[in-house]
Amino acid sequence: MNEKNADFEAEADNAASERSSEANFVDIFSAEMGRLKRIIAGMGLGASDAEDVLQDVVIQALRRAGKCQTKEDGFRWLIKVTVNRCLMEHRRRRSFCRRAPEILKRRSETNTHLTGTDEKAIVAEELEIMRETLQELDESLLTPMVLRYFCDLNSRQVGLILALSPSTVRSRLREARMILAKRLVERGIEL
Amino acid sequence: MGSSCKEIEQMLVDYADGRLSPGESSEVAAHLAKCEDCRRTLEALKRSLELAGVIWEDGLAETEAIRIPIPRTARKFQWPKYAAIAAGILLVVTISGLWRALVRPTGQEPTFAEIERRISDSASATRLLAAADMLAKYTDTKAIANRQYHYVVKKYPQTPAAAEAKLRIE
Repeated sequence: MNEKNADFEAEADNAASERSSEANFVDIFSAEMGRLKRIIAGMGLGASDAEDVLQDVVIQALRRAGKCQTKEDGFRWLIKVTVNRCLMEHRRRRSFCRRAPEILKRRSETNTHLTGTDEKAIVAEELEIMRETLQELDESLLTPMVLRYFCDLNSRQVGLILALSPSTVRSRLREARMILAKRLVERGIEL
Repeated sequence: MGSSCKEIEQMLVDYADGRLSPGESSEVAAHLAKCEDCRRTLEALKRSLELAGVIWEDGLAETEAIRIPIPRTARKFQWPKYAAIAAGILLVVTISGLWRALVRPTGQEPTFAEIERRISDSASATRLLAAADMLAKYTDTKAIANRQYHYVVKKYPQTPAAAEAKLRIE
């Protein structure tokens, strides 16, 4: 397989943009709040747990204020702390608690491309399968998936945060994706 | 699914993500054209990521409303800066204490009245000394001058004139 792919190009761009300026954790926290929320949402936490996680992260950031060498270090540290805190909730099975009908209801209240009743029923079933699968997915597979596909981090960044090599990250991403896909196929979902 | 399907399966995720080289993409596309199982898997890969995205976005809608107050004034305690300031203050206090102990005369600070009295005494003693000096020039009045010197020494002992008078007493 050709290793020269978009991921590597993104890595090169990222390495070039790394800056060595002194960073302040609180500033990084403010700037990256959106991404931290995406991680929390991606790991399936509800609003109250999400607020607890963010409070914990900001407190840890304040305690550690001034201890990061670069913005990149501070960014990685914040993501790591957030991921670890989310994993605690995931292990307690407090993630992905909103069932498919609730998700669909909210979607229909905001924006929806789903118009027919039959289509909604199918999507609800698919969504429920996917929700259960994400809830059961091992954290070693779920975390890279959230960081890569929902937080737009490349394999190198994900690897640095999770202390894995980029090739291990890619291999876990493939494994996670195949588990999700096969679950849909096994349950006889019409694709 | 044959062995070829297993090889293709390894590349399907990257193919779905558009991360394969053109050559590899063509190889996978050629296989997909003739393999329904792999087409189904590919479709499931795309669909599952789409559904995961729906679930994640739903969670994000919940967390978006969360506001975390961030104290903007929180800064690291700069102990070297404060230590330098404290050392500076300590140095100034020590030097000023030493200066006062070494240079300033012991005892209480004289009052304004005391200073005024000393000036007045000094002036009187000087005037008497000058008068005595004039009397000492003549033999007839030398004895009077001598008594005057004694008087100045006794009456104004702390004055410079008294010190002079002491030297002239016969």
